[in-house]
Amino acid sequence: MKRRWRDSGLATLMLGPSAVILALFVIYPLGKAIWLGQQRCGVTSCTNSGFRQYIDAFRSNDFQDSLIVTLKYALITVPIGLVLGVGLAVLADKYMRGVSIFRTIFSSTVATSVAVASVMWFFLLNPNVGVLAEWIGGRAKTPGLLQSEGLALWAVSASSIWANLGFTFIVVTAGLQGVPKDLYESAYVDGAGGMRRFTNVTLPMISPTLLFATVVLTTRAFQSFGEIDLLTAGGPKGETTTLTYLAYGSGLATSNDDGLRATVSVLLFAVLLVLALVQFRGLEKRVHYGN
Amino acid sequence: MRRHVALSVLVVGGMLGAASCRSGQSLTNAGVDRRPTPTTVTTLPGETTVPPTTQPRKLDTLPPCDVKALDAATSSGPVNITFWHGLSNELGRELERLTAAYNSSQNKVKVNLEFQGGYEQTIDKYLQSSTANRPDMVQMPEYMVQQMIDTKSLVPTQACAESAGYDTSPFLPQALGAYATQGVQWSMPFNMSIPVLYFLKPRFTAAGLDPENPPRSLDDLLAAGKQLVSSGASTYSISLDSDFDGGGGWYVEQWLAKEGEFYANNENGRSAPATKVLYDGPAGVKLLSYLQSLVTEGGGVYVGDNASGQDTLFKLADPTKPASMTIATSAALGPVLSILGGGVIPGITNADVGVGFMPGPRNGQGALVGGASLYIVDGKGGEKAAAAWDYITFLESAASQSQWASATGYIPVRQDALELDPIKSLYVTDPRFKVAYDQLISSAPGPTSQGPVIGPLKQVRRATASAVAEVLTGGDVQTALTKAAQAANDLIANYNAQNP
Repeated sequence: MKRRWRDSGLATLMLGPSAVILALFVIYPLGKAIWLGQQRCGVTSCTNSGFRQYIDAFRSNDFQDSLIVTLKYALITVPIGLVLGVGLAVLADKYMRGVSIFRTIFSSTVATSVAVASVMWFFLLNPNVGVLAEWIGGRAKTPGLLQSEGLALWAVSASSIWANLGFTFIVVTAGLQGVPKDLYESAYVDGAGGMRRFTNVTLPMISPTLLFATVVLTTRAFQSFGEIDLLTAGGPKGETTTLTYLAYGSGLATSNDDGLRATVSVLLFAVLLVLALVQFRGLEKRVHYGN
Repeated sequence: MRRHVALSVLVVGGMLGAASCRSGQSLTNAGVDRRPTPTTVTTLPGETTVPPTTQPRKLDTLPPCDVKALDAATSSGPVNITFWHGLSNELGRELERLTAAYNSSQNKVKVNLEFQGGYEQTIDKYLQSSTANRPDMVQMPEYMVQQMIDTKSLVPTQACAESAGYDTSPFLPQALGAYATQGVQWSMPFNMSIPVLYFLKPRFTAAGLDPENPPRSLDDLLAAGKQLVSSGASTYSISLDSDFDGGGGWYVEQWLAKEGEFYANNENGRSAPATKVLYDGPAGVKLLSYLQSLVTEGGGVYVGDNASGQDTLFKLADPTKPASMTIATSAALGPVLSILGGGVIPGITNADVGVGFMPGPRNGQGALVGGASLYIVDGKGGEKAAAAWDYITFLESAASQSQWASATGYIPVRQDALELDPIKSLYVTDPRFKVAYDQLISSAPGPTSQGPVIGPLKQVRRATASAVAEVLTGGDVQTALTKAAQAANDLIANYNAQNP
């Protein structure tokens, strides 16, 4: 008993610094945000309206619209990004001369910041001077993909998928290199074709990597801000106003009201928390961590 | 694999299920007990709103300013003041040059310029800061007037002007009026711009139009557009946008002002806080129907919400399907000419660009002032306010304004600046720069020539912009405007409820 007490004293001492930092920079701001989120604010002062503000905000048209936009955005960017990343990684996972050049090219986007990637796509898609817009023609010229209802979200997604491709590629490549080669050989001996080897050997063996990539890509999709702000500023007609952009709220319902901004941020946190729990609880059981 | 799919369906289904509990209410009503009902203060157009003489002047209830405090304070060295501004690149450098000239011209005041990254950053930082962390002086864009008043953190510049016996008669009444409400001059105009018409002279000539007489009325604009397209001079006539700071919001205010109509009630929110917008009335409908006809009959092209800020202008340089005219801020003229001067765009030279009044009712005369103004911050001590005022009078002087306007393309805030070089000779050598000035001073006298002062003006502009986008893509005008006005009124009511 005595010994345990002495241990816990030591433990407190060791954990203290990180506990203080956690409390100061995570717990306190979170608590403050939750408190602020049940207030409505003017330019100078705030008034409490109670925690039903969260329910009202969640059910409001603006939040619901943004939630749907964010879901759509995640449903576009995560699967496509994952498929492309795995595809490129499998293609580049060969022992051939010069394959390292391709590896460098495929992973290069990881070194590109969101801002740089967005500005690049912005010019590629510009209806008047953009090369891509010229190639695609049609609505890409008038009024432009980023300005077209129904297409803007896809255009932003393209930029985001491209920017995240390097990350997926590197992660999956690392996963592929952990797959023992003898598994492929025995599968080959058993008469498994290329596709069969991919679905029955590669995919199960890299499933922990895929889970990791899925969670990270989903979180990134829910938190993406830079590309929205730089490419469309939430337009056209709010079609690309994701939850983060709603919380930022430049020129939106939230923009003069710090309370509402906090409400939306806390709700976004709650949505992400639920999503991460479901992803880990649900998918983890189906992930093969080897023996 | 199949179970993965089933799970994903479950997750998405759950989220969509959550999404189905939509209340049909706007986010602005969250946590508010009732839908606020706008209370309208009825004032008839033209009715004077001078309060009864028994009441104190509004100015007397606000923080005072004593310019003599500066003389008293300077015995112990210069008074340091901090000035937050949002002007980047060449504009920022010109402001630095002017400020350096001021600092070295006297030893009472030393100004420390602090660039905040842009207007938006300045606004955010200012609103979030406590009095102690705020600067002594701040530059804010024109749509911030009501919010700045509501911060209750200002020394109105009028208080300083009265204390100093400052002569405001050389100022353009439009410039001062933009920053005055309820009889108080809150800030001093500094950088002013208004929308003007840009067009390409060679294409006008090719279409048989007179490049020296660009269209002024909306009928002329429609006719000129038809001629540009039918003659084959260009694919489209005019490029139009729904940017909330451009065609979607700001220009709507401009057109209503040219028409002599109010944009919001209570004299555009200047006699008392505005409680609703008025653009869904007959004047607004007529105007937006005209805009729509520019696209449907006049060969106009809609370029979206102008995300780059330059899409409308770029459309004139489109190598395959160009337009020949657009409406853009007068502040763009300098950059446009310097870009063309660099030869970046083949086939279009500096001299090809023509500038005219922004076409509209009353032959396009008049404009509402855009840009930014200078505010003095309260609670910093009398000598700081007096020092800020001293610096402001330097920036507002005819010599500074002449220099500032010629270096940046902004409109001088006072007439006597035009008598001084360098702006005097610039207006002679390149009259295109003077068009904006001439358009501004042709404004009709009266309260409709001063723009709307609304707390959430930026969001209201966004709501208006979505209506303009709808109209330019073929939507029903009255329906779009009614919907936008409703959203705008909601925003205003909520703002007013939070900022009593």
